[in-house]
Amino acid sequence: MKATILILLVVAAFSVSTAQLQCFHRKPDIPTDWIDMVNPCVRKMRDQVQEELKAAIQYLAMGAHFSRDTINRPGFAKLFFEAASEERQHAMKLISYLLMRGELASDVSNLIRKHIEPQTADWKDGVSALKDALKLEASVTRKIHDVIKVCEDPQNAGNNFNDYHLVDYLTGEFLEEQYKGQRDLAGKISNLDKMMDKHAALGEYLFDKKLLSGEI
Amino acid sequence: MKVFIVVAAFLVTAYAGTNDVCYKNVLRACETTSKNVNGLINCNARYGAIEAVLPDLQTYVNTHITRSFEYLLMATHYGNYEKSREGFEKIFKDLSDSKWEEAIDLIKYITKRGGKMNFAAVREDTVNDNNGSYELYELESLAKALDMEKQLAEEAHRIHGEATRRRKDYHDPEVSSYLEEEFVHKHANIIRKLSGYTSDLNTLLNGPDSSLALYLFDDYLKQHSIV
Repeated sequence: MKATILILLVVAAFSVSTAQLQCFHRKPDIPTDWIDMVNPCVRKMRDQVQEELKAAIQYLAMGAHFSRDTINRPGFAKLFFEAASEERQHAMKLISYLLMRGELASDVSNLIRKHIEPQTADWKDGVSALKDALKLEASVTRKIHDVIKVCEDPQNAGNNFNDYHLVDYLTGEFLEEQYKGQRDLAGKISNLDKMMDKHAALGEYLFDKKLLSGEI
Repeated sequence: MKVFIVVAAFLVTAYAGTNDVCYKNVLRACETTSKNVNGLINCNARYGAIEAVLPDLQTYVNTHITRSFEYLLMATHYGNYEKSREGFEKIFKDLSDSKWEEAIDLIKYITKRGGKMNFAAVREDTVNDNNGSYELYELESLAKALDMEKQLAEEAHRIHGEATRRRKDYHDPEVSSYLEEEFVHKHANIIRKLSGYTSDLNTLLNGPDSSLALYLFDDYLKQHSIV
């Protein structure tokens, strides 16, 4: 049944002269002088979309781990699930930016890989997961730096074009959030590490409850 | 009456017999002098048919993540300056958001029932569909979305079927009820809306000015929610 519908659709689509449905329309004629992003920079931005989604999946795996009945750290799970959705939002913000600049009008289908597997799915304890999260954020920050480098270097970017606006956006919005987020994680690691000095199990238990109530 | 008491007593013993494994673990763990952290291995949240449906639920999570990415690509296509269809962009972005949220919800559910998430459990036909394009014309994109939603709905029905077999190890009303409340009814709503949209376009694209009709249809989508 599904196959029949599909075949009907395809037939309807490709034989415009015989079928009544007009599914395709001509492309509008729009000047393209305003589209001024250069290729190496666009490619870097496209890769960054994938990087943000990879981070999102890694955080999902952390959330899944700390949700388990035998791990039972709902505070950590909440923190990591929220981080996963934030990373996905970053990917969507990058896409929106590219669309605003007239990019992504073609070759959209291969922008995102359909299956991403997390690199790690088990953690010894809460502090080791927070440390992994901080390392992950630092690597995302480095990759944003790399995008900026390519997009602001006229030689590197080709066509003698320095993308001031994109660089400002990445610096002001993305790096701002990265640095604040990293400081927050480092502070959490510090506190948890100190709480666990003499009473590891109790320290993590109390820290988790504070994460859950949103106190920290 | 006596028979009833005997039966009841028997049932109580049988019940206790199958369910006191955690308690036995605890007794043993508290008696032994050596510390053993894995001593409470049976004090978990697993019961009912969760073991039987766990692989299906894990795959279902990963399918949701893939679908969320695919809808995001479809939304992206409609957001480009040439297509510039805000309504279509909105419905696909909303679908992408809801698949993502449902994936997280399913992960939480798996762990609620004592399971562990496995991100490697995927459907090959979903992940390896490399010739699938997401740069589609309006009616094509609605048709694709309708097919994807029906596939998700039928997968939910299949898992529900696994959990409703009236046999020990395969009967789990809590799983069935969760699937019904969180997925089955929502699927019916989305599928009905999408099929309504394809019917509308079927008549609109048949008219004298299908290009203007699409503009008006997109404008309508902008003001309505699909999920």
